Amino acid sequence: MIDKRLIIVSGKGGVGKSALSAALALLAQRRGLRVLAMELGSPGGLSSHFATGPLEFQPREVRPGLHAMRMVRSDALLEYMAIQLGVRGIIRFGPVARAFDVLATTAPGIREIVTIGKAIWEVRADRWDVVIADAPPTGQIGSYLRAPQTVRELVPSGKVRAEADLMREALRDPSHTGLALVTIPEELPTTESKETLGWISDRDLVSKPTIIANRILNELAPGDAGSELVAATAELHRSLWAEQQEWLEALPPDIKIPYLFGVFTPGEVAAHLTDVLEDVL
Amino acid sequence: MTKTLLVTGAGGVGKTTIAAALGVKAARSGLRTLVVTVDPARRLATALGVDNLGNEPQPHPAERNLWAAMLDATASWRAVAIRHAEPEVAARLADNEFFRAASEHFPASQSYAAADQAVTYVQARVWDLVVVDTPPSAGGIEFFEAPAQMADLVGGRLLRWITGGPLPGRFLFNTAGRPVLRIADSILGSDLLVRVAEFLLDLRTTYDGVSRRGREIDATLRAASLLVVTTSDPAPVREAIRFFRDLPGVASAPRAVIFNRILPIEWAGAVAPPGTPAHLAMNLTRWAAETVRQRDTRSAFSSRYGARIGTIPWSLRPPTDIDGLARLLGDQADLPWAELGIPGVE
Repeated sequence: MIDKRLIIVSGKGGVGKSALSAALALLAQRRGLRVLAMELGSPGGLSSHFATGPLEFQPREVRPGLHAMRMVRSDALLEYMAIQLGVRGIIRFGPVARAFDVLATTAPGIREIVTIGKAIWEVRADRWDVVIADAPPTGQIGSYLRAPQTVRELVPSGKVRAEADLMREALRDPSHTGLALVTIPEELPTTESKETLGWISDRDLVSKPTIIANRILNELAPGDAGSELVAATAELHRSLWAEQQEWLEALPPDIKIPYLFGVFTPGEVAAHLTDVLEDVL
Repeated sequence: MTKTLLVTGAGGVGKTTIAAALGVKAARSGLRTLVVTVDPARRLATALGVDNLGNEPQPHPAERNLWAAMLDATASWRAVAIRHAEPEVAARLADNEFFRAASEHFPASQSYAAADQAVTYVQARVWDLVVVDTPPSAGGIEFFEAPAQMADLVGGRLLRWITGGPLPGRFLFNTAGRPVLRIADSILGSDLLVRVAEFLLDLRTTYDGVSRRGREIDATLRAASLLVVTTSDPAPVREAIRFFRDLPGVASAPRAVIFNRILPIEWAGAVAPPGTPAHLAMNLTRWAAETVRQRDTRSAFSSRYGARIGTIPWSLRPPTDIDGLARLLGDQADLPWAELGIPGVE
């Protein structure tokens, strides 16, 4: 997994995307890679797991060899125009920037391509061995992965079109891009993940995703409970475990992350997940 | 007058089931009640023990005073805008590539359509209470921002800029006098800006109708009572906090929060008696720690946001009939029932 150049981490809201993104970044850093972690989803998701303050567009070193940044669309748009489209000289003219802002709001795909384009451009810049993107949830990830295609349909020629073609290839190249789909063995996340897997393969947007199942309960061996409380907790655990098995069967994961009981800070959660991933990746 | 109760919260916390349970409770207290969902998982139909639900409210076969409807989740504000356009413009819009794509991608699209439809039911004055299970979305708050966003897009602030001023009607897009647009045009390699401007012009003709409707929707949402549902997991709690912190500027402040999947409080700090097999003792310790985490989360929430709190025990199978739904809520003595629009509950 961490041999890819770009890892996009998505999943239904609340399944632990940001924690796993942070853990993947920390693991890559532990292994001596130069890492960029990008916060594309909700603000604070990634930074809290690095136990650091709010991230900015400019990457900041949060551990030796590990930089982190937050996606800011207006900054990325200016950078996109300056670097990718080569209109460096004119971006100081507000009107051009605003023209693109209009397009980014109205024309579909532009907003998303600026975001996904930033991630791909960071890979191409060769400052990092791996770029890890804590991406928007599965409900929105489609419009990001589809963005190059959407733009190709709207823009028949020109620089934007050429860029879109390159991005589409980068996303589809399995040695370049990997999608990590985080899920938990419950009904809604499983259904949503399966739907996501369906349209990803139908549209050939990205190579086969790695499925990471979070909050997996251990199987509880039988035993003489003795007290009512012990029996009650064992019964709840076993029922939840049995229910999890159904959903794990419906969507067999590549990686299983054990349930973390009790109170932990986001930083502690990320450190724990890094240890778990170290054993399987 | 029809009251509205909006049930909000992150996806997957049991919102739809709780909205249905609230509907049953209201119906049994004598209110003619409609429960509305956009949940594509058909959870509402399952919870109510009926086969199918559609866009049209249906009376429940076994429960007097209870109706249910499931909105079409693929509907969009595109349909709303087209409804407010002249026939000729409507035909152009229906075909427009930007409109098609934008209505798929515009974040508030589904929220807007759902809000619009829910308000139609409220305005029908057929029911005493309409319980709305708000759409699952990344940020549930967008449901409340949708009317303003819609009017803003249609309103043509962008349009005025791109076309360089007030507009007489359809116009000739001329980049010659505007080098900035010529540059943009050359980068985009096509007449993209022209097509965007034409689309925005068409869209703007729907402005009066759409913004009037937007104000009606907004007024209904602001007058509604709000109940937030969450579990004790960090992500849904963060979402619940957003409702309490950010919503007062957009809609009415939430009245209460229901924590779902609650472990028995007597588990907190429990220790296994001597002689318990080690793995079972460890299991008790773990669930006791979870119970403490849940309790701390609730008390932080109530002290920080002054919220009235209801709790629903962790049940392994969600209810699949009316009586199960009625039992689910229990009495919830701490919830402000009258403020939620369900008075007369003993």
